[in-house]
Amino acid sequence: MTATTSGAKSGADAISSALAADRLGVTDIVYFVMSAAAPLTVVAGVVTTGYAVTGITGLPVAFIAVGAVLALFSVGYVTMARYMVNAGAFYAYVSRGLGRPAGVAAAWVALIAYNALQVGLYGALGAAAAPLLDQWFGIHPQWWIIALVAWALVGILGLMRVQVNGTILAVLLTAEIAVILLFDLADIIHPAGSLAAGTLSPGALVKPGVGALLVIGVLGFIGFESSVVFSEESKNPRRTVPVATFLSVAIVACLYALSSWAMTVATGSDKIVDTARQNGAETIFNLARLHLGGTVVDIARTLFVTSVFAAMISFHNTTARYVFALGRERVLPRVFGRTGLRTGSPKAGSIAQTVLGLVVIVVYAVLGLDPLVKLFYYGGTFGGFGVLLLIAATSIAVLVFFVRNRTGENAWRRVIAPVLATICLLVIVYLAVHNFATLLGVSGSSPLRWVLPCVYVAAAVLGLVWGLVLRGANPDVYARIGLGAKAATGQAVPAVAPSAVGGSHTAAAVAARRGRHQ
Amino acid sequence: MQLADEFFLIAWDTAVSGTPLLNVQATSLGLAGALLGELALQERLAVRGAQVEVTDRTPVPDPLSQSVLKLIVTTPEHSDVRTWLAYLAQNTVEAVAGRLVQARLVVREESRSAVLRRKAVRYLATDYAKGAWPSARVAMLLVNGRPMAPGDMALVAITEATGLLDSILTDPHGRREARRYLGTVMAAMPGSLRDLAGHVQAAVGDAVLSYRS
Repeated sequence: MTATTSGAKSGADAISSALAADRLGVTDIVYFVMSAAAPLTVVAGVVTTGYAVTGITGLPVAFIAVGAVLALFSVGYVTMARYMVNAGAFYAYVSRGLGRPAGVAAAWVALIAYNALQVGLYGALGAAAAPLLDQWFGIHPQWWIIALVAWALVGILGLMRVQVNGTILAVLLTAEIAVILLFDLADIIHPAGSLAAGTLSPGALVKPGVGALLVIGVLGFIGFESSVVFSEESKNPRRTVPVATFLSVAIVACLYALSSWAMTVATGSDKIVDTARQNGAETIFNLARLHLGGTVVDIARTLFVTSVFAAMISFHNTTARYVFALGRERVLPRVFGRTGLRTGSPKAGSIAQTVLGLVVIVVYAVLGLDPLVKLFYYGGTFGGFGVLLLIAATSIAVLVFFVRNRTGENAWRRVIAPVLATICLLVIVYLAVHNFATLLGVSGSSPLRWVLPCVYVAAAVLGLVWGLVLRGANPDVYARIGLGAKAATGQAVPAVAPSAVGGSHTAAAVAARRGRHQ
Repeated sequence: MQLADEFFLIAWDTAVSGTPLLNVQATSLGLAGALLGELALQERLAVRGAQVEVTDRTPVPDPLSQSVLKLIVTTPEHSDVRTWLAYLAQNTVEAVAGRLVQARLVVREESRSAVLRRKAVRYLATDYAKGAWPSARVAMLLVNGRPMAPGDMALVAITEATGLLDSILTDPHGRREARRYLGTVMAAMPGSLRDLAGHVQAAVGDAVLSYRS
């Protein structure tokens, strides 16, 4: 263990070893990141609906392409994280790199995006749980009844700040991945025709509608950004966090590319769209039933439900914490920065998220809208697009930050990777906006194709204005934008001082730095 | 009574349930801050920005305070406030409770739940009035806008940093006045104590932001 060994160098002091006791390693962080990414939710829900709605088949190669771009982005991202006091949130990077008003704009965009992702999951749960409820109890409740049960559970768990047991999450995640790989294997050894490599060829990326595929690709990776949250708790922030980030991105890229390709092998690449349109979220389970039998499929269905539920809790907490951090900075009213006394949960943020969830479920139920496509898929892709905008803005912020500050980082991390990542991300954003109708599966004349992207533009403009208002009216608050919980210390961030970076207060980080300088 | 003892009595329901009013992380971080605050009040250390600096190595009379001072003096490689808060928080509850038990202000009761077979520890005040005094005194000082000694300022600041202040300001009318006066107190407070309380609040907030789920 890094901390202990370097602690030994400095005389094995009790403080270092005591604090190092439950530090997170690479595997721990990958597990935290991946369980938020909820692989089975993506493979069973997002990929199949994506095929059905967009009607195009280049998803496998889109996952690879997005993975490559995000890996490139992560080079600068994890490097800049070392200079951040509030490393966990995109808006903090934007605030630091592009100015505080831009940071508030990014925060507003993030709030909308993560809320959309969370609320959308209520739409998937009905589809995931219905076959099981039928089989086990012979009941056929409306999707919104299932959603309301989950909604109540998420709300209560959020308020109670129940930490879902790490071991349970790890077991579920491992089982999810095992089932996905088993399904993929069964699909691949039973091809419908010849092994079709068409969906894997880079040529699939120059077809019309590619922007839609790229947004779905980004959606699959969401959660990778949270690795940096753990830098203060990691064994060696300089190594553990970057390795965990790249590993998560690589695993997600390979797993989703393989799975989305395997489906097309089993159905034939010309039939995947029709099959997905017909069977919806049942697609992969129907395919698996042919070769693996009912028991495996039942286990997989159960894991699909737990996967959706874990993702709901994860996004609920992400949103509540975003609101909490902004409340601590007083960018949002002070009440959002308070915690429940006995629970220590970000109470107001959690309640706000829960209320929003209820409103959306009720509206969808009353209007009779399709939960899988109109709630889950629209919520997911709309949220995914928002996160794409955040990643692009953060990438620019990373670039500007390293141009403005002398850091001693090498040119690859400072300039080359961020420039390449920024160009790629801007191209993806352009394509996404251009193909938004394809993404939603609506006609080119549908107002949705511009209304939804404009929601983010409006949020960003309002955020920018609010940031500027704060600058004039409340300089104290303005100075602390982007500091998160550390806003309380009221200390200006040192321009560049790797000694003041996230994780510096931990003995491991101190020890690691000492080791490097020797 | 020392700073950490008073904070313990504020954060704990020593009258009825014997359990903390506040979640474990915030309680431990508040107590850790209070232990550092005791040394700052006795002018043994100063908090400047993010650093703890020992200003005087002369031993202090209280054994718990002295053990903290000795540790800080003997491990100069750790000067970060947050390192000390994180380290001290690991067993402050037992340490401070022990000191209160020794002073016969509280008694420790252990019970084993039959169902969960889990050990439950309760701390109850030996004298109700003494147990309730710190929160009553602080509330009175704040609501009436009375001058405060540095020790009271530190207690108020740490109570606020952990999110407990509103729960001791029971009168909603007084709360607004008290909050306004709190601003004045924070501005008038010695820099060391203000910075320390800021770090406690940041640590409590960071614990919310980084929990693992």
